[in-house]
Formats: sequence, C-alpha cells, structure tokens
Amino acid sequence: MFTLEVKKVLIACGVVSALLMSTLFLEANSASEKILNSKRNVDGAVIYPHKDGKYTSYLLNTQSTKGFNKYGRTPTSNEVKAWNLDVMPDGTGLPVGQGSVEAGDELYSAQCAMCHGDFGTGGNGYPTLSGGQGSLKNQLLKEGDEPPFRTIGSYWPYASTLYWYIQSAMPFANPKSLSNDETYALVAYLLSINDITIDGVELDDEYVLNKEKFLKIKMPNEDGFYPVDPSRSDLKEVRPPLAQGNRCMSDCNAPKPVHIAAEITGFDPAISTSKELLIKESKNTIAPGEKIYEESCMACHANEALGAPVLGDKEVWRDITSKGIDVVYLNGINGINSMPPKGGNMDLSEIQMKEVIDYMVLKSK
Amino acid sequence: MINKPNSRRDFFKKSAVYSMSAIAASSIVPINTLKADEIEITQKAPWGTKLGDLVDKYAYGIPSPYEHNNVRRVHDLLSSGDRYATVSMTPHHLQEGIITPNGLFFNRSHGGTAQVDPEKFRLMLHGLLEKPLVLTLKQLKRYPSISRIYFIECPANGSTGWRGPQFNNLQFVKGMTSCAEWTGVRLKTVLDDLGLSPDAKWMLAEGSDNSEMARTIPIEKVLDDAMLVWGQNGEPLRPEQGYPVRLLLPGWEGNLNVKWLKRLEFSDKPWHTKEETSKYTMLQANGKGINYFWPMEVNSIITSPCPEVPWTDLSVGDKIEISGLAWSGRGTIKTVDISLDGGNNWVEASLKGLVLPKAWTRFSYIVKWDGKTKVLLSRAIDDSGHIQPSIDKLIENVGVEGIYHRNPIVGWEVKSNGEVNNVHVRS
Repeated sequence: MFTLEVKKVLIACGVVSALLMSTLFLEANSASEKILNSKRNVDGAVIYPHKDGKYTSYLLNTQSTKGFNKYGRTPTSNEVKAWNLDVMPDGTGLPVGQGSVEAGDELYSAQCAMCHGDFGTGGNGYPTLSGGQGSLKNQLLKEGDEPPFRTIGSYWPYASTLYWYIQSAMPFANPKSLSNDETYALVAYLLSINDITIDGVELDDEYVLNKEKFLKIKMPNEDGFYPVDPSRSDLKEVRPPLAQGNRCMSDCNAPKPVHIAAEITGFDPAISTSKELLIKESKNTIAPGEKIYEESCMACHANEALGAPVLGDKEVWRDITSKGIDVVYLNGINGINSMPPKGGNMDLSEIQMKEVIDYMVLKSK
Repeated sequence: MINKPNSRRDFFKKSAVYSMSAIAASSIVPINTLKADEIEITQKAPWGTKLGDLVDKYAYGIPSPYEHNNVRRVHDLLSSGDRYATVSMTPHHLQEGIITPNGLFFNRSHGGTAQVDPEKFRLMLHGLLEKPLVLTLKQLKRYPSISRIYFIECPANGSTGWRGPQFNNLQFVKGMTSCAEWTGVRLKTVLDDLGLSPDAKWMLAEGSDNSEMARTIPIEKVLDDAMLVWGQNGEPLRPEQGYPVRLLLPGWEGNLNVKWLKRLEFSDKPWHTKEETSKYTMLQANGKGINYFWPMEVNSIITSPCPEVPWTDLSVGDKIEISGLAWSGRGTIKTVDISLDGGNNWVEASLKGLVLPKAWTRFSYIVKWDGKTKVLLSRAIDDSGHIQPSIDKLIENVGVEGIYHRNPIVGWEVKSNGEVNNVHVRS
C-alpha cells in the first residue's frame, strides 16, 4: 500500500516504514480518505466518476448517447475474414500451410538477411533474431559486463507472435507480401537457427513445419514473464509502481551527483536555441525523382550495410550503368538480387521508376 | 514573500547554503540604469516602415522564421538503422503551458507515417459482440464527441539514463512525451450499443500501417476512459498521430494508443503481439520480464532552467522562476517538490494553471540567484499516492536492463557561471 496523504504531512528524513505510513493515514484529513476510498483500475490508476454532469473538471452532456451505432453497419463474414488475421498463443487464427527450413533459409537470405544479418545475428541497428539463451539475468553495470540478449530464442514466449508478425509486418519495406507457406518456412528457419526443437525433433534443413507441428511448439522462455492469470485475480492493483519514492523534506542525506562520463552528441538538427534568421540556401528545383527516392528507395539505398548500391557511390553506379540505362530501368522495375520489383512499392509507375533511377544515377556520377 | 507558508521558510533555514533563495520581504529591486540609448527604440523598426506579408501568404500558418530552432530532433542511436521506426523528440525547453503544438508532438512509429485516405478509412469492431460494427470516418464522427487534455508518453522516455547520464540536454532526456487536447468519442459510448459479452475480457487494437501495430488491452481500461479520437488541438489528427483515427488510452504507454486504427476485436483471452514480446516488456534483474505493463509512472522535469536554457545571463541577486512539467498515468498531480541542493532539502512548489488527470501539470518556484553551484531536482506525487522515486531506489527494484518506465528524479546541476548540466544523484 503506497497511499499517502502528502499535501500537509512533511515526513522527516530517513526511511519511512510501512507502519509509520499507515499511522499517517489514520491521522490524515478527509482528502487522504478520498485517496484511500477512490476506485482503482487494474493498473492501479484512480477511476474518476462520471457524476452530477461532471467528469473531474470537465462538464458533460448528460443526455442519452445511445443509438448512434445506427449510422454504421454489420461487417460481412468475408470482411471479417479479410482483416481477422491475428494468431493467438493457443493457435487460434493460425492458417493451414507448410514450409521447410531449407525454403525458409532461401527466403531469409533473399529478403531478411540484409537487415537481420546472416543466421539472425543482427546488425545495422535491426533486431538480432537468434542466440542469447541464458543471458536474461545479465546486467550491464560496468564496462566489460555482458548485457542480456533478447531474441526469438531467448526471450519470445510464443511462436504465434512470430507467425503473425512476419506475415503482417515483414519484410520491413514490403510487408504483407508473404504467403502462408512462405511464412511457415521462415518460422521454421528462425526456430532452427535458435536450436529450438518441436516434440523433441531437431529442425534440420528437410524439416517441414505445418499447422499441426506448429501447435506443439514450446518456446524456451514461455515461463519467463510475470503472467496475467486468466481469472484476472492478479489484475487488481497487480502493478504497483516499479519503485516508490520517499517524501523526505529536510536533512535527507542525499548522495552525490554523478556527471556525464561520455557525452553523446550528433543530434539532427544540432541542438541550438539561436533565433538568428537562417540564410536561405538557393535551392534548385527538386529533381522529379528526388521525392520518390526519399519516400521509397532511401531506406535501403542510403544504408551501406544493407548491401544495396548506395547513392553517391560512383564506382558501384558506374558498374551498374555499364550495360546501359535501359538495363538499369528493367532491373529496377522487375527487381534484382534482394531488391523486390519496384523496390517493393508497386504503386510506382514505370515512368516514376525511370525518373527515380535517373535521379539516383545523376547523384552517383 | 510575506505570505509564504512556514514550510518554505523552514526549508531555507535548514539549507543555509541557499540563503540565496530566502528573499527578504523588504527588498526593493533597484531598476537598472541606462547606459546608452537603444537603437531598437530610437530608430524606426524596418517592419514598421513597410507593408507586411499578405494576409493570405500562408493558407495554413507557420511559426515565425526566427523560431527555426523550436523543432523536433532525432538521434541515430534511437533508431533501427533508419528513420522509419525511430522517434523524434519534443523540444520541451521551448514549450509554453501544457499543450504541445501539433507540429512539435513527439513522433514514434514502427514502420513510418502512414498516409491514410479518409474516404477509404474503415473501423471494424468484432469478436465477442452481439452486434459487430463497421464505421466510416463520417459515421464515427456522428457520435457525440468529448474533448480531453491528456499527455502521451513513450515508455522508453528517459531510457538512455539507465547506466548513467548520457545526453546533456532536456530534449533527449525527456522529449518522448507531449500533451494535447484530443477530441473523439468515449469507447464505452460506442460499446454500449453493441452488446459486449460478459466474457469479453480483452480487446485487440490494430493499426492499418506498415507495421500493423497491435496491442492487447484489458476491458477495464476500455470501459473507463478509453477514447476513439479524430481531433488534436482543434484540427484533424496529424498523420504522425494516426490520422484519421487513433485509440487513446489516457496515461498508458504511447504505443498502446494505436494509430491509423483499423480493427478492435474482443476476446476472453489475451493476445500476444510483437509489441508485447520483443518490445514493451520490462526485463527485470531476476531474468523475468513484465509483460502487459500499462500505465506511465508519476514523473516530472524542470524545463527552466535546463541545459538548453541556462542561467548564464543572470546576475547575482536576480529573481528567477524555476518552472517545469509533472504528469502521471495513474491519476492527477497532487504535489511537486523542488530541491536546490541535490536532494538534501526540499520545498513544495506551486502548481499553476489547469490541474487535470493524466495531463501535463505546470509547477513553479521563484528563487534569487546567488551565483553558487547547485543541483536542482523535482519530485512529483500523484493522487494515487505514487511518489517519484530516486534513481537508486528504482535500480534497486528493477535493475538496469528494463529499457522502459524509467521515471526517477532528474537532476540539473547549475554551475556558478549559470551553465546547466545533466547529473544523476547516485550513491
């Protein structure tokens, strides 16, 4: 119990015991009783009443608000089916399909490795997907300490999340493009590189994952979370504050301030409060492809680590254009290596693709 | 100063070092004498001797060109190798009052800012409902609206400080929170007509963006103060905030306020979305993670002075206001205490302006600058009884690897020359 009337009571220094705090309640005025008696929600927050035409300081229209659903309509079963694609931990929502570790490996190399690294080892700021088992108790407190590594294998409690997330949100620049079979294959591959077995069976290259086998997956860290009990009995103020402060007012024996050891800079734009007018750069008219480049291509082509030809890399672009600009157009439109057709943005017309390729070639000369 | 309550006088007696702040009741501040005529007064101003801009120069107005530094900022450390799944920070040091202008509202998304066509927007409510529902934007906006001022905060706000201070500015120490007046309909009002099953204990909220951002919400929150919002500070939601419609869960982690909303499904069991797995879970020192962590903890920050707005232009004896922001996802701010000596002695600041639940609350305390190095702290307390903890206390409870929900007391060291630095008060 952390409730404490604080407005009038100044607590002297030192540790305030729970006993002292409860004594203070008894002596506190009606304001504190209000705190004690206020309704609490599952998060421990105060529930304020809608009462007498008011909600806290806000005035309310007290007329009936019923019946406005008449403006809407009932969804058709096909519409619900089209959008209801989530997969729950017990497998509810998991579609039928199958895919092998080997097929997943190929897909991963082509569409995932550029961000998540070979074998899920991460890189470029994108999440690491494998390894880390046994590291969760690590604390990086001083130089040389190892931090915990939160990966699919070490941290994720349910494989359902893996399937659902990959299919709805991956690959990053081209989401919702994978079939059920492709998603099964990728899940199989990701489980295999995390050394996760299904029903005691190791997932070798030939292993084919399907719905039946998927339902038997038990992730290593399934029990690694403070659970929410289905009865919800643990939701009543289940989450007290992570830490409760102490309202010491004087002679508190505070520790010393610690200064920044290694200051981080590099903000964009740079930190400044100057009010001097900026001298306007004489900006030339924007090239037709520039906007498209920024919206659709920059994610890969501005990042050396992703393997795509980087804008401005003269040598690489000289090679690319050596077979003639038409070949570059075609490759851009149809896709090449790990680049999907039109870079994954199928809304772009062929003319727009040519404009953006012209822009990128020009910028790399 | 005559009417100061006893507690404040005691405070300064006990902290004799800071007699600088015990402003004598009788003091009469001398007016500065003139050194030379100022040309700002003696000469005609250029903007007064010619016509100004045309009234219709900007169909949608923009800030003064002199305010070009009042902008959101990003840092590559806080992104995933790109600027699609990153966060831009609100410049608190240049903000006034408790409302964040829409163009400065912090922006965190997981797959870029979706540009949703309002004519093609559909919201579906289904699952354990007798009457599932599809609404267009126009139909949703027919519901009687309410407007509420609430903050939103990313649970990673302040997370770069777990192992010590790293950023020497306010914008990156606490810039992942903003506050706006939101207009929409209470979700309970919509559900009252739809025959919500008593078995419905959980709601899935799903966005329509690249990341299909989804979160699981307990029904108790849904039926308390959750809203479907389409208005932000008097205009349609900004795309960065989920245009045309986002879920608003007052006081809860920013990512739960699902943007570009598409679907609400009701179930007797919780989901387990990616954002309840790889992110937004809080790993404890014992190796176990807290999942489904919802409310943002009580918090406060002094916004003036701060590293960006120092006291370098003050002279000894100048009066100066210490001002800042406090907020809590569990209720309403009751009290904010301020310390000038790194936490040995504290005094209660004044709250000023509107004091609303789950909204930014301004606090204020006036001191006299004595030109001596000091450490300023603020400590907020809410009406749920939660007191902002020390850094030591928080780390003792949860270790340093939790990433999220880091709300301990923030320290600004004011040096004798008026410069301000980020410091952590640690044992």
